[in-house]
Amino acid sequence: MSEVVVDRLNKHYGPVQALHEVSLHVPDGEFLTLLGPSGCGKSTTLFAIAGLDSPSGGRITVGGRDFYNGASGLDLPPEKRNLGLVFQSYALWPHMNVRQNLAFPLRLRKVGKKEQDARIEEALALVEMGAFIDRYPHELSGGQQQRVALARTLVFRPSLLLLDEPLSNLDAKLRIKARSWLKQLQRQLGLTTLYVTHDQSEALALSDRIVVMEKGRVSQLGTPEEIYRRPANAFVADFVGASNFLPGEVVDRNAAASTCRVKLAGGDVLTCLWPDTSAPPAGSLLTVRPEHVGLSAEPPLPGPDVNILAGRILERAYLGARLLYTLDCGHGLVLMAETETRVEGDTAWLRFAVDDTLLVRA
Amino acid sequence: MSLAEPQSRFFRPDRALLIQAAVALATLALVLGPLVPVLWQSLLDRPLYEAAPLFSLDNYSRLFGNPRFHDALGNSVLLALLSTLIATVLGVAFALFLERTDMPGRGLLRNLTLWPMYVSQLVLAFAWFILYGPSGYVTLAVERVAGVPLWDMYTILGMGLLAGTSQAPVVYLFCSSSARMADATLEDAARSVGAGPLRALWSVSLPLMRPSITYAALLTFIGSLEMLAVPLVFGKPVGLEFFTTFLYIEGLGAITPDYGLIGAAATLLLAVISVLLVIQGLLLRQSKRFVTVRGKAQRPKLAPIGRVGWVVCGAMCLYTALVLLLPLAGIVLRSVTSFLTPLMSPFDLLTLDHFEVLFGYEAYRRAIVNSVIIATFGGALATLFVAMVALVAHRSEFRFRRALEFVALYPRAMPGIIAGIGMFWAMLLLPFAHVLQGTIWLLMLAFTMRGIPMAFGALAPTLHQIGRELDQGARSVGADWWTTVRLIIFPLMKPALFSAYVLLFLAFLKEYAAAVFLFAPGAEIIGTTMLSFWANGSTGPVAALSVIQLAITALFVTLARRSLRTNKDV
Repeated sequence: MSEVVVDRLNKHYGPVQALHEVSLHVPDGEFLTLLGPSGCGKSTTLFAIAGLDSPSGGRITVGGRDFYNGASGLDLPPEKRNLGLVFQSYALWPHMNVRQNLAFPLRLRKVGKKEQDARIEEALALVEMGAFIDRYPHELSGGQQQRVALARTLVFRPSLLLLDEPLSNLDAKLRIKARSWLKQLQRQLGLTTLYVTHDQSEALALSDRIVVMEKGRVSQLGTPEEIYRRPANAFVADFVGASNFLPGEVVDRNAAASTCRVKLAGGDVLTCLWPDTSAPPAGSLLTVRPEHVGLSAEPPLPGPDVNILAGRILERAYLGARLLYTLDCGHGLVLMAETETRVEGDTAWLRFAVDDTLLVRA
Repeated sequence: MSLAEPQSRFFRPDRALLIQAAVALATLALVLGPLVPVLWQSLLDRPLYEAAPLFSLDNYSRLFGNPRFHDALGNSVLLALLSTLIATVLGVAFALFLERTDMPGRGLLRNLTLWPMYVSQLVLAFAWFILYGPSGYVTLAVERVAGVPLWDMYTILGMGLLAGTSQAPVVYLFCSSSARMADATLEDAARSVGAGPLRALWSVSLPLMRPSITYAALLTFIGSLEMLAVPLVFGKPVGLEFFTTFLYIEGLGAITPDYGLIGAAATLLLAVISVLLVIQGLLLRQSKRFVTVRGKAQRPKLAPIGRVGWVVCGAMCLYTALVLLLPLAGIVLRSVTSFLTPLMSPFDLLTLDHFEVLFGYEAYRRAIVNSVIIATFGGALATLFVAMVALVAHRSEFRFRRALEFVALYPRAMPGIIAGIGMFWAMLLLPFAHVLQGTIWLLMLAFTMRGIPMAFGALAPTLHQIGRELDQGARSVGADWWTTVRLIIFPLMKPALFSAYVLLFLAFLKEYAAAVFLFAPGAEIIGTTMLSFWANGSTGPVAALSVIQLAITALFVTLARRSLRTNKDV
């Protein structure tokens, strides 16, 4: 069992608060991704769990065992935690070859020579690197180093796998290949995994659940679909995928249907989702993703489940499968629409489902 | 974001903490050991080993009332200023010409210019004495032609020339990197507005080097203040006293040394050098703002100076011959002749007597063996020790690691002679210390203390270059701090350990000032033996010992370079 519980973790660097009451719960076997821009505290959280960065307060429990407890002053040193950490730079020891790199954690655990060889072979087979056992790190490509680094953490059967942007040093094509391979491997081993990345597509593709972090706080915790479809605030909506933001004034609210009606600066009234039980705070924004906005030259049929706006086409960008339009909807409102529809002329009608329109906190 | 913060607010009595604390305590003992007795003695009214002392500032008032000390102070400052001036002018000129112009023979001259650093100042002083001293070979030869002696080495000017030329390599070393990295387009700009190549060097390149020049000049000034060899060889015979010879004569010359006076004088010298080091530290911090090197890669461009280059090359060859090669040749010749004079061919005076004396007497043989043991094993032990200090200071969660670094670097402010006096007094104060007295272990301890800053400086940059994630990786797979240090960091810093060892070996082999108060029968070294021969006027054995020291140095440097070349991949 290696369920991870992080409870109200804080971290100060002098006057700067790098982590602010971060709480997480990762059930056994889950693949959880910490997602956010650089400086959001995702790596600090990961390193705190690994024991390489001492928090200022809070509690970390793995598999029911206290690793860090700010109240009692307990801070287990990293070597006592039995966690597998893969570094962004891989951190393969340059003076040891692949076999020695993998043997090192086993030697520390006083594993017999025979057993060592078997486990090294097994771990290298898992990452398909068996043929490179006598190579030195500088004789391997980036992708191969990354696999060896992973094998080095798997070889001692850690209770938890921690990955710090392990794919960020690979080129784009390799990254996508490594992504599916990593996911498959994690499924196969059933290891609880914490994954840190700033790449939202990586997070969406890999994770069972995602934690979006901003400025040392947890912004939202949810499945990839929840994060994408129902962002909790403007930051998440903007960071995960692209979003249009429409400022407006809430005119009424239907608590039973979890919807609101919002009046824009130009007088148009749009309907949107507001899943929260409390009233929306002032300054909340309407958001709709460009790929959910449909375009047509003729005015579409109005209906209770659809929002309609008129706009002037400012720009058409050809993306290959789709076109990205930039539209001026008047009163300073500029929206993007990504669609397969080709619309000629200067003006177009924008149509998007209420189900795709969300009211979010700024 | 991934930096490991100290975890020291939680007390964990584990092996890492024990080792770290032991290293820190050992460093503290090593540095405070000689320092505290000196400061303490300067405030006592009687020798520090006597019972019931009274505190007073009497020593200081006696020191400042002592006219001999006034002279010594004045002479020291004058000599330091003069040698700093000479060393700086020469060193900066070397840096400009060797690194910024296309003068011929740069490769060879760069090497030759650094050679004096390998040679002990004591040996260099003896060598100069043999050639340029009042009855030196060259002095007499010139006098025969000119009718009168043309120079007098027994003056501050003479000593300044020797001290200045022997420290010019240090200035060159400090200024060469900044000269090498200077932006050539700035010189080109000067050329484009009508400046000649030499004018561009003078008006643009030179001012850009100002921070390194000031830094190096301060270093030379401190070096000249704490220098013992040159004043001892050229000042003592005519009664010219300096800070260091004052301490030397007071401590060793008198039948009952005036402990209080020595303590006060030593404290004063420590204070002066400490202040200079603080100034140097401030300058260094400021100089980082003087950035002429930018991230953009630029091809270093050399100023074409044409025929002037040949003149400079000739001048530098002549200079090297006069200040280094001739004196060394002279001392080699002196070691195999019964005496050296321009009146007789040295080939009629050839003899191996001096070497026979050295190898014939147990005490002299022992001095050579001791020096080699101290340099070889003491140097190795010191390297390991300083490596531990650097690791605790830079790669641990030890709570006092910043303070440890400060303490470890403090010996820069302690001249060899004061370290020797302090160690000697510490032996008088500490219980059980007598087991060390008169052994080479005591010498190794004193030399190690003096060597910490240099070795630390050689190791710390490499530690910064070894990525932190390499130790974090080891920690995360289950290695504790000490295992990580032993199996990951130590192997990775092998090349740096090797260069630190080379530096310490040479320093230990050359050291004499810290030993003059500490050596005893059975624990002699080459330096102290040379000084006793010198005091008896036996120049021949001094020359022979110098040759032996030079030979060991040359052998070691050759071996070190060769193994450095083969170990390049490590």
